[in-house]
Amino acid sequence: MHDPAPTRLPLRPPAQVMRLSRLGSLHQCRLSFMRVLTRRMAAEGWRFSRPAFNIGDDGVGHAVYSATGPDRTYSLIAFAHDLPPEMRSDRVIATAWDATFTLFDGVPEAADIDRLSKNIPLQEAGRVSEREISVSRANRSVRLWEHFVDALATGQQPDPQKTAAVGYLMRTTAVYGSGKLGAADRETIADRPEMQVPFQAEMLSVYLTRVFVRDLVQHMARAKGGDKTATLDPAIAQSLGIGNSTGLGMAPFIVNHPVLFNNWIMAREEAIARVRAVETATKAEAAAFRAVLERAALSVAEWHSEHPIQIEKLKTLGTDMAALAGHVGAADLTTGHPWNRLYDWAEAHLGEDAQELVASLILEPYPDLVDGLAAGMADANSDAFRIDGGLSIAATRSALEASFGWALAVDWTARENRARAWYVSEEKLEPRLGERFDEPIAEYEQPLAPARDAAAAHKALADWGDDQPVAAFLLAHPEHRHTIRRAQITAIAPYGEIHDNTIAADVLPIDMLRAKLAFFGATHFDPRSDRWVRICMYAGAPYPEDLRPETADHWIYPEVET
Amino acid sequence: MSFSLNEVEATAKKAARGAGYSWGLAEEAGKATRWLSAQGLDGCGALAALLQEPRHESPTRDGDIWSANGALCPLASGAALSDFAADLAAGPIRLIEVAHPQLLLPFAAGAARQMGTVLTLACDTLTARTDGAGVDLAHIPSPPGTSDVQVSLGGRMGAALPHQTRAASDPAIWAVLTGLAARTYAPATDASRRLGAGAGLSDND
Repeated sequence: MHDPAPTRLPLRPPAQVMRLSRLGSLHQCRLSFMRVLTRRMAAEGWRFSRPAFNIGDDGVGHAVYSATGPDRTYSLIAFAHDLPPEMRSDRVIATAWDATFTLFDGVPEAADIDRLSKNIPLQEAGRVSEREISVSRANRSVRLWEHFVDALATGQQPDPQKTAAVGYLMRTTAVYGSGKLGAADRETIADRPEMQVPFQAEMLSVYLTRVFVRDLVQHMARAKGGDKTATLDPAIAQSLGIGNSTGLGMAPFIVNHPVLFNNWIMAREEAIARVRAVETATKAEAAAFRAVLERAALSVAEWHSEHPIQIEKLKTLGTDMAALAGHVGAADLTTGHPWNRLYDWAEAHLGEDAQELVASLILEPYPDLVDGLAAGMADANSDAFRIDGGLSIAATRSALEASFGWALAVDWTARENRARAWYVSEEKLEPRLGERFDEPIAEYEQPLAPARDAAAAHKALADWGDDQPVAAFLLAHPEHRHTIRRAQITAIAPYGEIHDNTIAADVLPIDMLRAKLAFFGATHFDPRSDRWVRICMYAGAPYPEDLRPETADHWIYPEVET
Repeated sequence: MSFSLNEVEATAKKAARGAGYSWGLAEEAGKATRWLSAQGLDGCGALAALLQEPRHESPTRDGDIWSANGALCPLASGAALSDFAADLAAGPIRLIEVAHPQLLLPFAAGAARQMGTVLTLACDTLTARTDGAGVDLAHIPSPPGTSDVQVSLGGRMGAALPHQTRAASDPAIWAVLTGLAARTYAPATDASRRLGAGAGLSDND
């Protein structure tokens, strides 16, 4: 890694970046966790193997896929099931799936497989151990799965149009890590270089799941078609991703982990500022940007949704992409801070979706300025939780005003400003968002309205003298303790707070989901409602046998046919 | 049963909330129980015992004496001890009649990290020193009742208890915690089942 250029531009302020509409317009970039993983595995020459594929003609059984890096091996253990259609649900309340998985720390022995075969298929109703790092499950895209099996079994290749319309054969409906269900805590793997960047274990699990799904569909086609079965065209296989169906569980995550979320946003903002500070770009760098823009435009053109909100967003983005292509075609991208000028132009002429795409794309020609920032995206600051009770009331007030100044002016007695409440249902602990004034949920409300709570704490502080320590206030008002903690965290993590009302009548949880999923590296966000989104992961990525440094990074952008 | 420390923290936090603590103190209960478990101490047992008793009091501070009309709650007192850690520079703090005093240890550890020194906790049933990262216990206490506790700066840290990455919890104790945690979950209704999670479309496509 070269020494990064010093930042000479200020980062974009949290008041701009942390609005929900902008967070709901984020796109993947060089720092996305999937790309960090594939780059690392290629650079380090990871080796892959399939020690077991014990799946019958009925599609039931297990398989093991191992990935070996410089120091360790991780293995995906996949269990394939025969799922009746009436049991197929992507929701947390489901009790059976087409396939279930765990990422095992090492290479499993027969006793491990035996133990896990009694637990992994049960998901939340099972227990795992410290040897397991993640637990996940997936459902088929019924239409595309049947089409693939039928086509291949009769010696045909699947229809590329049908393939593109769905994009994946299976979608994961949950990937649990960090100690869930008894698995290894994040802390037990966080010191390993390959696991330092957030969600690397989960991303590895999904990467290997994609290999399994490709192998399984071929296996099922052969079981049906025998000798006349076609081998899946590698180009079609490469175009497939793994889908993901994500509900409300992910939205609380970014509110509940303010330091972690800050580190993600801050890394990207720092990257953007560094590239905007570049005075002159080489012709090669300008050409690299133009090439990636063309490929990104193709990705946008292939992005479909049936949801009215997303249809509208895609329409605007499509128009903006045309305007952007026109501007870039004529623009000087080499002199006079070209990326800063381009970004400023985007801010003045394009919508938020396209602005954020430009912000992500200008990072592409600059791996040396950007990629090292991924190392700072984890949350290693466990002491941030501890409140500094010696801080004065005056300083506490200022901290609240700095992150929630906008919220102090909101009328929190108005129904529309607190119409919703986040709660957890006793049904398999499913997170839900309800109507505060129509449902009996207020007493179960989760602390996921930091803005409302900040306004309340600020009001309670009004009667306290400036110089007193906040410790005295907290002893008298334990109900504001979580809010004061957040205010102190925000002082060191300015991008940790959403600058919008998370319980407003018009809040769109899909904005929160997209922000998180964009950092994973997801594309083609396809909302199924205002609180539920499907995405695609790893579409276009090389399979293990094709993973090399030159294929490991830009797979996220579709190839432009020449 | 073997639990991950994240499970311990999450369950302890929800249990404390279910028992009626504020979210901020429930968060403290989660971290404290996790910290004790990481030292190999029975954090879950101590928290479960506390949460099954009627709610104890928050301290009233009178100089270096912290007390209440009744036993002191170790979570409220511990949080205050951590918040007022700087006061220890002026001399020891004495807490009168603390329930389940081992629950003060994680908060003392936080104070020790802030002050950059070893802290000593002394009471009828145990003497403990912590440097923030670990704890050195003179003897591992059997479940105590209430006890007066003196907290002071300084002390010589002996060998710390070995750190653990898992928590072994008695199933009966775990059941107490998950039972209390369940009070934070809203009973499902048809409307919430249909609308609350927001997935209205079929997944058989």
